[in-house]
Amino acid sequence: MSDEILKVRDLTTRFFTEEGQVNAVEHVDFDVRDGEVFGIVGESGSGKSVTALSLIDLVETPGRIVEGEVWYRDADLAEEHRDSHPDAVDGDYVDVRQLPEATRRWLRGPAFATIFQDPMSSLNPSITVGEQIAEAVEVQRRARANPRRTRSRTQGYGLGRLLVDSVLPSQGYVSDESQERAVELLERVGIPDPEQRADEYPHEFSGGMLQRAMVAQALAGEPDVLIADEPTTALDVTIQAQILNLLTELQEEEDMSVVLITHNLGVIARMCQRVGVMYAGEVVERGSLEDVFENPVHPYTEGLLGSIPDVEDPAPRLSPIEGNVPSLLDAEMGDECYFADRCPKAMESCLTDIEEHEAPAATDDTDHLVRCILADREYDESEALGSAAKQEVISDD
Amino acid sequence: MSYGRFLLKRGLQGIVVVWGVVTIVFMLRFITPGNAVDAVAPLDASPELRERIAEELGLDQPLYVQYLDYLWELLNGDMGYSYISGIEASSMVFSKLPATVELAVASSIIAIGLSIPLGVISATRRHEPADYAATTFSLVGISTPNFWLGIMLILLLSVQFGIFPTSGRAFGFVQAFRITANQGLGAGADAFYQWLRFITLPAVTLGTYFTALITRLTRSGMLEELGQSYVRATRAKGLPESLVRYKHALRNTLIPVITVLGLQLGTLIGGAVITESVFSWPGLGTTLINAINARDWPILQATLVVIGTGFVIVNLVVDAIYAYLDPQVVAE
Amino acid sequence: MISPRTLRNLRKELRSSALAKIGIVLVLAMILVAAFAPFIALHNPTNQDLDENTLPPMGFSRTTEETTSEMVNGSLQLTNETVYVNATASHPLGTNSLGQDVYSRAVYGARTSMMVGVLGTVLAAILGVSVGLVAGFYRGRIDDALMRFADVSLAFPSLVLAIALIGLWGRAAVDVPDPFVVFGLVDPVRSALGLPTGMPDSFVLPGTVIVVVGLVNWVWFARIARGEALSIREEEYVKAARALGASDARIIGRHVLPNATTPILVLATIQVAAIILLESSLSFLGFSGTTLSWGFDISQGRGYLSTAWWIATIPGIAIVLAVIGVNLVGDWLRDALDPGIEGEGGV
Ligand code: SF4
Repeated sequence: MSDEILKVRDLTTRFFTEEGQVNAVEHVDFDVRDGEVFGIVGESGSGKSVTALSLIDLVETPGRIVEGEVWYRDADLAEEHRDSHPDAVDGDYVDVRQLPEATRRWLRGPAFATIFQDPMSSLNPSITVGEQIAEAVEVQRRARANPRRTRSRTQGYGLGRLLVDSVLPSQGYVSDESQERAVELLERVGIPDPEQRADEYPHEFSGGMLQRAMVAQALAGEPDVLIADEPTTALDVTIQAQILNLLTELQEEEDMSVVLITHNLGVIARMCQRVGVMYAGEVVERGSLEDVFENPVHPYTEGLLGSIPDVEDPAPRLSPIEGNVPSLLDAEMGDECYFADRCPKAMESCLTDIEEHEAPAATDDTDHLVRCILADREYDESEALGSAAKQEVISDD
Repeated sequence: MSYGRFLLKRGLQGIVVVWGVVTIVFMLRFITPGNAVDAVAPLDASPELRERIAEELGLDQPLYVQYLDYLWELLNGDMGYSYISGIEASSMVFSKLPATVELAVASSIIAIGLSIPLGVISATRRHEPADYAATTFSLVGISTPNFWLGIMLILLLSVQFGIFPTSGRAFGFVQAFRITANQGLGAGADAFYQWLRFITLPAVTLGTYFTALITRLTRSGMLEELGQSYVRATRAKGLPESLVRYKHALRNTLIPVITVLGLQLGTLIGGAVITESVFSWPGLGTTLINAINARDWPILQATLVVIGTGFVIVNLVVDAIYAYLDPQVVAE
Repeated sequence: MISPRTLRNLRKELRSSALAKIGIVLVLAMILVAAFAPFIALHNPTNQDLDENTLPPMGFSRTTEETTSEMVNGSLQLTNETVYVNATASHPLGTNSLGQDVYSRAVYGARTSMMVGVLGTVLAAILGVSVGLVAGFYRGRIDDALMRFADVSLAFPSLVLAIALIGLWGRAAVDVPDPFVVFGLVDPVRSALGLPTGMPDSFVLPGTVIVVVGLVNWVWFARIARGEALSIREEEYVKAARALGASDARIIGRHVLPNATTPILVLATIQVAAIILLESSLSFLGFSGTTLSWGFDISQGRGYLSTAWWIATIPGIAIVLAVIGVNLVGDWLRDALDPGIEGEGGV
């Protein structure tokens, strides 16, 4: 059994809006193993992007991570915090959520790097691409140059300098080495003429090239886990394939783990070793790619896959199952399986709290877990929820 | 388009605008009721005398000749002579210009120095007491007429507490420098102290509106920038918050703020005119008002031309800074 | 023009924003005071009463030195005495050096500010929107010429241009009869309330000021209208309407103008604030056709700062409150309607 670099437990993120509390991510569990690509798939609004933001602690108000643990394997960090934060340490693992905020921030870059959906809006329009990548390199360089406890990423870069830089486009923060490294990284991700392109601004790049630059920026911190949130959605189909190839290649060469978040089953099938299916803020089924894609247990997963004639040659987009993703407003959510009103196999018992169940797994070392009563029992037509009852579930809301 | 070409294009446009300014200033005389000769001639002037005056002023020529003459003389730096005092208009206006520039620069320094930190604090501590204080200040600041603010400052700080003089100007900045050079540091320090005492109230008066305005703009711009995806991505790559806020968000906030400042430059000059009047500050504003009341055309025209041209030049500088900060402007 | 959604946004923003409520209250108060000035003022604002000059506001007193002379033993003896001048209930905010009631003048001053603010803005909007629509709709040469002209007029600060024009053109004013007084509604009410009667039967509208203020502020409207026209003329439905042979005037009236309403409305609100400030500056400098103006009163009070602070202070507070109110309403409209313009325009 390979080791987990990341163990996410019970992660729950909610948004406290004027309209009410939105349960975007509810008690999500999953593991990411060394050197694997773990996929999170779901329709939009299923909470998969919020899950990504929760991992790197960048949920913005009115959102808040209300509970959960994110165990990250780092022996040094564990050793360092064993005495000061005993609860946050378990063997070689640290619970990122219980670490001091400053430490959590240090992890962005060397532990977790992120690629977002739209590369154009993810880069600052008025700073050159090269400098933005160099910043990501520089941050790590400065952090390494200082002993851990006092390490500062702004060392030697006082407020005065900062203010000058905020007005004048100087490269005061970034050292020459970092700038050179940025050019190397651009070359690494396959950008021709990296020297020259480093001095260009985002608006001078094409979408595909810009996403490559984002990948280069993510590589700057030599991350253990690369979180890619819909990395190809905003791109043309041909470019999509190029970016995916690049990710596969880099993942193997750098021996990173990748958390790939997408609504595109084809991308999942092509890239991932293991996968979690999200629905209404919950992971409803997870396991190895074969288990989930070839022996799905959850009717939602079945429904998603049903539309795809052949997993080897899948249609690029999710086929919508009849009905919509339910409202995630707390007031409108009960105990029942959230999929019940769209589920073709819904039964009376589905209206009670649904636990996560073990499901048959293809190989011994692969967990296959399903949040559906069908993992335990067969579908019984006599118990089926009639359309009238389903209606009731809806009107219960 | 390269930066150089961009500046060249803007420069040429600026020249066209200056030409327009000059033309309007020239035309002003002809859309004004009353004969220009009346302004100069004594009330009981004989027709012959009036004719001689008209001839001397070139008023008997056809309009286009007068216009071309005016342009030609302007190009040669000749703006005519005051009807009242006979002093050369250009030397009069340029001797008053430093006082106004000093006032405008001092209040801009106050405004920029205070408002950007205030706006940033306000945006990054949203809904905290500091934010409420800054928001209230900026609302009141943009709603207060500066002449009244000046009077209130005089009432409080000059009349009640006697900290600052009520009006006037002791030295120019340059003069204070000269005193330092000629009479040593002691006298120089005193000169600068006097300079500061006199300029403080007018500069605060003129600067308050801009402080308030830029605070508002910075706050709302910063809030908008901090909500952009690139800010999240910048945090995600591990940059410390200070860099995220200042190097990234603030810089992008300042870009639109600079445009608005360029547009508001007229407000600054207009404000200077009235501030000068409140504090009897011997600058262009006072000159302008006196010239209007006395119908002293050459002085009036010279003042307006200098104000208009100054506006165009400063705007050009603002444009240059703007294009320097925002690479997309030049590209368009 | 005003869709149900717009109204919903306005209501929602109003509910959540205390500042918007304050703004509406201030603006409504100002409108009411301006409209019903003859009922609200305590005295005729132009009545001079030299016996009651320079009275302080309620709660304050003023001292003067009074010299009395007396014959003592055949020689003239002068004694200096400090006399306290106290406030009187009939002049709650005191009087100015001519014995005019400061409160009543502030009430009537609201009229001048409102009239100039609103009429000046309307004039500026009509001029600016017409120019902007034509420039944006026809583009090309007309656009270039009009926009260069706009650049040129921007090079003159509003205040500078305004004093130049008013100074040269004179300070014409129009006497507008006050309907409440003319129809005899005021005196009965006032005597029933026990207030002095004889309010002014006409109201001086500073005509030149309104025209000039409109002339110097049109540029802001032109810029916005032009921007809207430029973007809307590229819309498919406008092209379709053109292809169907709709006249330019019709397209501008039916499609372009309605789409530009929101930003123009927001700008107009901001401009009312700017013009109120401009008007007060003009009358402070003496470039106005009326003496019933907050700015004029401040300039009158300037000479009495060491003895009678209230003469200059109180009208200033009135200006600040009025402008804060209008600015808050402007913020409310901008936040609710989000037309994407910043608070442009100033004195
Ligand atoms: S728990 Fe019941 S309703 Fe939910 S997915 Fe399973 S079968 Fe369907």
